[in-house]
Amino acid sequence: MGHDDRDSVLTVNRRDSGAGKVSAAPRWALLCVALAGLSLQGCGLVYDALQYVAPVATDELDAICRRQRVQIGMAVEPFRPFVFPAIWTDEGSRVTGLDVELVRHIVEALSQQCGRPVTPVLRLVRFRDLFLHLSEGKLDLFVSAVPSNVPVRAWSGFAYSIPYFQHGGLSGITRRPDVAERIRQRFQPPSEGSPGVTAGEQVLAGLTVAVQDGTASQHYAAANLKDSRMVLCDSLPAAFESAETSADSGIDVILGARPVLEYMVTRVKKDWQLLARADGKPFFLTRAQYAVVMSEESYRLRWFVNTVIFRLDESGQLERMRARWLDEPYAFPRRAAVEGLPFDVEKMVSHYSQGACRADRAR
Amino acid sequence: MRTGILMVTLMVWGLLAWGVTDVREARAVERAEAEETARLLAKLIRAGRLVIDQNQAVIDDPHKGDKGFTPDVFEQQLIEEFRKETTIDLRTLAATPSSILIPPLAKELLPAFVLASKEVVRDAQVVINQRGIGYKNFIPATYGSQAARRFTSQSHVRLKQTTLQPRNPKNEPDEYEASVLKWLSGRPNAEAYVSELTDRGRTLRVVMPIYYVKDCLKCHGEPRGDLDISGYPKEGAREGDLAGAITVTVPLAR
Repeated sequence: MGHDDRDSVLTVNRRDSGAGKVSAAPRWALLCVALAGLSLQGCGLVYDALQYVAPVATDELDAICRRQRVQIGMAVEPFRPFVFPAIWTDEGSRVTGLDVELVRHIVEALSQQCGRPVTPVLRLVRFRDLFLHLSEGKLDLFVSAVPSNVPVRAWSGFAYSIPYFQHGGLSGITRRPDVAERIRQRFQPPSEGSPGVTAGEQVLAGLTVAVQDGTASQHYAAANLKDSRMVLCDSLPAAFESAETSADSGIDVILGARPVLEYMVTRVKKDWQLLARADGKPFFLTRAQYAVVMSEESYRLRWFVNTVIFRLDESGQLERMRARWLDEPYAFPRRAAVEGLPFDVEKMVSHYSQGACRADRAR
Repeated sequence: MRTGILMVTLMVWGLLAWGVTDVREARAVERAEAEETARLLAKLIRAGRLVIDQNQAVIDDPHKGDKGFTPDVFEQQLIEEFRKETTIDLRTLAATPSSILIPPLAKELLPAFVLASKEVVRDAQVVINQRGIGYKNFIPATYGSQAARRFTSQSHVRLKQTTLQPRNPKNEPDEYEASVLKWLSGRPNAEAYVSELTDRGRTLRVVMPIYYVKDCLKCHGEPRGDLDISGYPKEGAREGDLAGAITVTVPLAR
């Protein structure tokens, strides 16, 4: 039973236990409290006054220490190598990846800070729901290769840590050599007397582009790729499936996070290729840095997470993590067995489905 | 007087001898019951592993979401496999009179293991029912490790999967298990099992070997050293080689 459920049960009990039967003395007391409340300017003052009389929760970091648990959100859709699919091990179900390793470091630091063990409670939810869960207070933070610099309304009002991964960005992959070649030819670096063609809008014009719903790639495409047909997919695996099995989908290019796409084409989907420029250099639509996402009011937690990431960077650990997950050969089930984290089965969508793809009717 | 002393002495000796015989008989019965229970438990976990193996293609099907491989479906198949192997029907176990073939301890522990196994399959549902993901590492070995561990945590009987080259350090054989495994590895594949009293007769150890079958060789076969799908180096095993063993440790009361 979650906090919300408990609260609702309490409310019901209170209502059941005698609405309209308040005795005279409590009625006066209630009136006094109401008058006192009205005499204070705004809710903030009431809150401050209460905190002064009886300081309850000092801040979110203290709250984590007190409950010895930190609620962490992660995307249920795999973003390899940041988040791999949930897998079974000798120890039960586990999730692993670069982001999970980062979580382990944050939790370790939290345990030190609190002076007692803090347990991570991982909630695996749809990527697009992570922001919602955070704003509803169901999460203390979430991490899933989230770019910190996406100018979109849905992602505003949240706070982003300093980056833990610097080499992100949006790029594309295709299965069709003719599409790859066409993009290479279209891409013209600026030269004397010519501005060149480097904007994603021009390079991808007329092509059918698949993006994962709610991710940076979708927001980028919606804002910038006016001349492309858009296909919205529930996940990256759904985009692959749609492109590979359904001739009707007509997907020419899948857009996504460059490190994720690179991992996929080099290790999983070897018949796909990354889009490249005419000079052979990687084709980026934009660059990005990945950060931990927290509530805007979580000032102390943000300082704390920033410090953890800064220390990891300073010690070279972040770079080792990057190399470990992006460059080294490995099989993730083995890493999941050794270092994966358990997740809250009750908080995972019961039957995770990679979903499907559909044409973006809004365009 | 002397005759009286002699008679008393004889009576005392008679009683002692009767008592010793009684104790010996009781111990023998207890051991036989414990051994049969251990053997049945080992066969039950082996049946569970077989059920997972038989459903592996469904479990690893990336195109299907809900696989329908629920704890209840697993239970039915487990019971059926166990019945084929032992002729014991776990559905009617409670109503079956106890005997040396179905000792009271077995009547208590076999359903407990089925329950532990069902819990494992229940907890694995979120992993099994992922669509779009093929290999999920829910294989006979990982099922067996979890089921054995859960059962052991709720019972005084210890159940374990072990091998001389364990992939999981927690499945490392102890000294006794290692010695039996070494002994077994030098012998031909057989339906035999090893049963011995250890700890000055206070503990019964039963070791039931598991041999590699064709399906196992995808991950454990040749070429030796190559990484399998889960990232472990292949053992270079051949069909019929000793894979490991299921060991059961039963503390004896007397």
